[in-house]
Amino acid sequence: MTKSILIDTTVCTACRGCQVACKQWHDLPAEATQNVGSFQNPQDLTFTTYKLVRMEEEMIQGRLEWLFFPDQCRHCEEAPCLETAYDEQAIYRDPATGAILYTQATRSLDAEEIAGSCPYNIPRKAADGTISKCDFCNDRIHNGLQPACVTACPTGAMTFGDREEILSFASKRLAKVKQKFPKAMLLDPDEVNVIYLVAFDPALYSEYAVASSNRKGITRAVALRKMMGPLSKVVRV
Amino acid sequence: MTNHWIDIKNSDCILIMGSNAAENHPISFKYVTQAMEKGAKLISVDPRYTRTSSKADIYTALRSGSDTAFLGGMIKYILDNNLYNKEYTAAYTNAPFIVGKAYGFEDGLFSGYKKNEDGPNLGSYDKSKWAFEMDANGVPKMDRSLNHERSVFQLMKKHYERYDLDTVSTVTGTPKEDLIKVFKTYTATGATGKAGTIMYAMGWTQHTVGTQIIRAMAMIQLLLGNMGVAGGGVNALRGESNVQGSTDHCLLWHIWPGYLKTPRSSNTSLDAYNGKWTPKTNDPLSANWWGNYPKYSVSMLKSFFGDTANKDNQFGYNWLPKVDDGLGYSWFDLFDSMYKGDIKGFFAWGQNPACSGSNATKIRKAMENLDWMVNVNIFDNETGSFWKGPDTDSSKIRTEVFMLPAAVSVEKEGSITNSGRWMQWRYQGPKPMGNSRPDGDIIMELGHHIKEEYKHGGVFADPIVNLKWDYMTDHVYDPHKVAKEINGYFTRDVTVKGKLCKKGTLVPSFAWLQADGSTSSGNWLYCNSYTEKGNMSARKSKKDAPNKIGLYPEFAWCWPVNRRIIYNRASVDPKGQPWDNENWVIKFEGDVQDGKYVSKKWVGDVPDGGWYPLENPDGSKRDDAKHPFIMRKHGHAQIFGPGRADGPFPEHYEPLECPIEKNYFSSQMVNPTAVVYSTKADAHATCDPRFPFVGTTYRVTEHWQTGLMTRPQEWLMELQPNVFVEMSEELAKLRGIKNGERVKVSSARASLECTAVVTKRFKPFQIGYATVHQVGIPWHYGWRWPSTGTEESANLLTPPAGDPNTRIPETKAFMVNVTKL
Amino acid sequence: MKLNRRDFIKISGAAAAGAAVSGLGFDLTPVKSHASLLKTQYAKESTTICCYCAVGCGAIVHTSKRGDGRIINIEGDPDHVINQGALCSKGASLKQLAENENRLTEPMYRAPYSDKWETVSWDWALKTIAQRVKKTRDFKFESNNAKGQTVNRTTRIASVGSAAMDNEECWIYQALMRSLGLVYIEHQARI
Repeated sequence: MTKSILIDTTVCTACRGCQVACKQWHDLPAEATQNVGSFQNPQDLTFTTYKLVRMEEEMIQGRLEWLFFPDQCRHCEEAPCLETAYDEQAIYRDPATGAILYTQATRSLDAEEIAGSCPYNIPRKAADGTISKCDFCNDRIHNGLQPACVTACPTGAMTFGDREEILSFASKRLAKVKQKFPKAMLLDPDEVNVIYLVAFDPALYSEYAVASSNRKGITRAVALRKMMGPLSKVVRV
Repeated sequence: MTNHWIDIKNSDCILIMGSNAAENHPISFKYVTQAMEKGAKLISVDPRYTRTSSKADIYTALRSGSDTAFLGGMIKYILDNNLYNKEYTAAYTNAPFIVGKAYGFEDGLFSGYKKNEDGPNLGSYDKSKWAFEMDANGVPKMDRSLNHERSVFQLMKKHYERYDLDTVSTVTGTPKEDLIKVFKTYTATGATGKAGTIMYAMGWTQHTVGTQIIRAMAMIQLLLGNMGVAGGGVNALRGESNVQGSTDHCLLWHIWPGYLKTPRSSNTSLDAYNGKWTPKTNDPLSANWWGNYPKYSVSMLKSFFGDTANKDNQFGYNWLPKVDDGLGYSWFDLFDSMYKGDIKGFFAWGQNPACSGSNATKIRKAMENLDWMVNVNIFDNETGSFWKGPDTDSSKIRTEVFMLPAAVSVEKEGSITNSGRWMQWRYQGPKPMGNSRPDGDIIMELGHHIKEEYKHGGVFADPIVNLKWDYMTDHVYDPHKVAKEINGYFTRDVTVKGKLCKKGTLVPSFAWLQADGSTSSGNWLYCNSYTEKGNMSARKSKKDAPNKIGLYPEFAWCWPVNRRIIYNRASVDPKGQPWDNENWVIKFEGDVQDGKYVSKKWVGDVPDGGWYPLENPDGSKRDDAKHPFIMRKHGHAQIFGPGRADGPFPEHYEPLECPIEKNYFSSQMVNPTAVVYSTKADAHATCDPRFPFVGTTYRVTEHWQTGLMTRPQEWLMELQPNVFVEMSEELAKLRGIKNGERVKVSSARASLECTAVVTKRFKPFQIGYATVHQVGIPWHYGWRWPSTGTEESANLLTPPAGDPNTRIPETKAFMVNVTKL
Repeated sequence: MKLNRRDFIKISGAAAAGAAVSGLGFDLTPVKSHASLLKTQYAKESTTICCYCAVGCGAIVHTSKRGDGRIINIEGDPDHVINQGALCSKGASLKQLAENENRLTEPMYRAPYSDKWETVSWDWALKTIAQRVKKTRDFKFESNNAKGQTVNRTTRIASVGSAAMDNEECWIYQALMRSLGLVYIEHQARI
């Protein structure tokens, strides 16, 4: 049974425990940042920042809302990055958990192409060309632990479990949240394993909160490979 | 907190005002969220829209320093609309007490006021003018119908008559419709079975009227019947992991461990001391728990001096220092004295006053007068390195500084007490890094060295030589030995409550402590924490109590005597049955015969005393019962507080530095008893065109206090790298400031470079005819970290004034200017 | 035919075998090895209470049993009834508080008018401090106040701190300070 996370942004307080817990578990260094007039930092995901709480101030129906969006890899059911890479030594899917995993071999990939293929604008490249992103804490999952960010979350904004359970929990949760926020919605629940629940127009939270149509366009190379069928993958390797 | 963190989930309405729990106590939102999932309303009242506000059902702003006006408006709303819980108010509070004829209030002043020319208090009251009328037996006269014209209830009504919505709205800048919305939503918890809670912190304490803001809220909680119940209470969200414990053990000038009084010079003997501070009641229904005072003070002296403390030497009472009557020795006074050159030696132990104290420039200057300083910390800091700070010439500073490296909490063993009064034991992970040592080892070693120095004589060496100092095992500090001393021992074989207690065994609870030297207890409040049954604070059971409200009585330990919700006798009606049958805290289940209770049995939480309820099931009164507020002399909670320095009822006064030229409630501008300091380093400026904007300070999630335990950490600096000033878009436009640029913020005392955060979350206030802008700055920074030295402390800006009861500085409301660099 | 990863490894056979790529914490050995060792597997486990705010959250500290004996990981304790594993950004960074190259690791002394720190021994530092305490305290120790009342105090030494200490440390600290006759004893709770 593959795993999923529901991120219910309506109860996120942006304490950013998740953001630091991610760095802590993965031993990732900090970015050198500057305050540019907002609490959000770093300004974007980086090679060493897999999880970032985005913060936006919006007037919605005459009421000020401070929107928090703990951004990370969605671990797509059919991951365009994986398809684009077409190299299981670099990008592969753990069938046990559904995690989309990057290895050091990503260095030999075209980072721009991989990043460009992601409808959520997640992968980031290091100076040496290696590409990284959230690994779903796959090591923890296999050892019976939740991802570090989920464990850290105080309010229950993040719930981890078997995909079917999470899908059913997400729809129940949506029904409840809609009583307060009628426009609430789940973002791409059928396509991804990190499912967001938002109260308002997803574009207000992040440009890439939902799969971006202009990015989702699969490249010609990938489309061709898809047509050739799975066996060709093996042949290629 | 009267209640505790988990209990927040039992609330029906959570008011977060004077705190920013989502940011500064983030895990509390586990329980705020759980309450909201069950339908509770969350109200956020704050000058600035915060991460807390972002989750609130109702958010509204008020101008910093106007909280008493806001809450006074709520008291009036409760009284005007008959929303108070009549049975609770009449039975459990002092609302029915009759106040003497000498009490009066006119134009902002209570009766008995006298100006003080010498300072630091602007003035003081003769509090005897506010005394209750007593009957022939010496018990306060009462009118339980609350109709007597001099009853507390009627005087309160009269006092808050002036706090109408228009005036309150003018003073606070909060729109009238928002006031009504907040009042209506919160006061709905006055209904029987409903509970409202207040989560407050330094947003309320750090004012020249701080104590009275909190009292106003306590009055509201009493009127609504919210004290003692699950999901209710008055909850101070304390800011440091062990600031509750360090307060309980009284690292404060005015109190001894367990909130005993530091003796005054007029308390010339132990008997005089105990006589002075032991309250007396003639009411047989008042438990008057502080009547046990001598048992606690003598047991504490036994812990200090062990076998050398005995009846003949008054248990060493005169070995401990006395303070002069009427003088203060608080933080402000301490640094005032150091600034004037009177203090020569200084321990800054696990604290960074160069950044944490209000008007920090004065503190930094004061330290230049020291002969020596001992600074114990995890990191180098602005205090220990003051001699190389900005604008400082080390070649002119004589002070010797000893900087001692302390271990981090995970490198040592011991207990800390959280805001909910839970004492929790923690264990050693790695050994202390390098040559650093646990504070306990440093203290013990230093004590031994000092004792060694006095072995061969010295001035008044007795207390030093006789200090009991046997808390090491194999030459290493042993926290278990101290924890047991704090709990206390029987010092000889003694029979208590008909039971033989052997010398050297641990005292089971403070009910067993004695005033004759047969028991020791370093802190009576913690007696019961480490007994012959073991270390109670190390317990980890996840079993809940039968009421299933999240008390977890066998997880850790909580003072007093593991009572998780204090004043819980007020959670039941006079017959001992819960007001709220769903989330009940305790209930009486004694046997009944002919309508009378005939046996005692309380279930649920540890009750506030195990006496019978006030009434039998048939409504008859019992004479063997006690009123529920057992720590009060008269057993009743105090709506009228005649012990406060600044009046028995909270009254609105403007901050020492304020943006408007009049107080809309009286001609008394500022708290007439506020403390204000007056050296040349203590400048202040009110209604001064040079400083036109209200300033306030606060904390953010990602840093902590002066930042000394967060600024040296990359992960946290990544999240909040710079000191910043938040301001409205309107103010930014007025000053031509762009979001993200560096600007200058200045006050009458200093100026500070900050990054501008221009935000919709701040809005200008309309105060009468004036548009008032407010800005806010986190105080987590200092020149030592980050190494750029560009990020300085907001406390350089904050004022030299404080609350007359606590002398806590007014760092939440002062006046500043903001300009482009 | 839909291939899973296990099949993929099988089919690709020799081409992949032995070519396990170890990077970013993963290797390409067969799927079941995802049940691989956690970095905390062989660590000593101890519990602590977070040292920042006063919520009192529990955390688990994983300390290496080998090498330098330092901390590998600190995360929220799921068995703690208050936080149930949760930690905020400060709590989540606890490891970096302890494992921090900026920490003080030696006693240091700054002499009068000096512009630098000197590393000193614990013994020297504590003995010298004790001598300074005695000198300052004993000079003008106040037995009586202006009214002639017994006060037995020194107002020439002051102490601030600390809410950052454990209860037991606070207790012995105040006992030591009070036995010396200090009345200027204050800490974080005042401000």
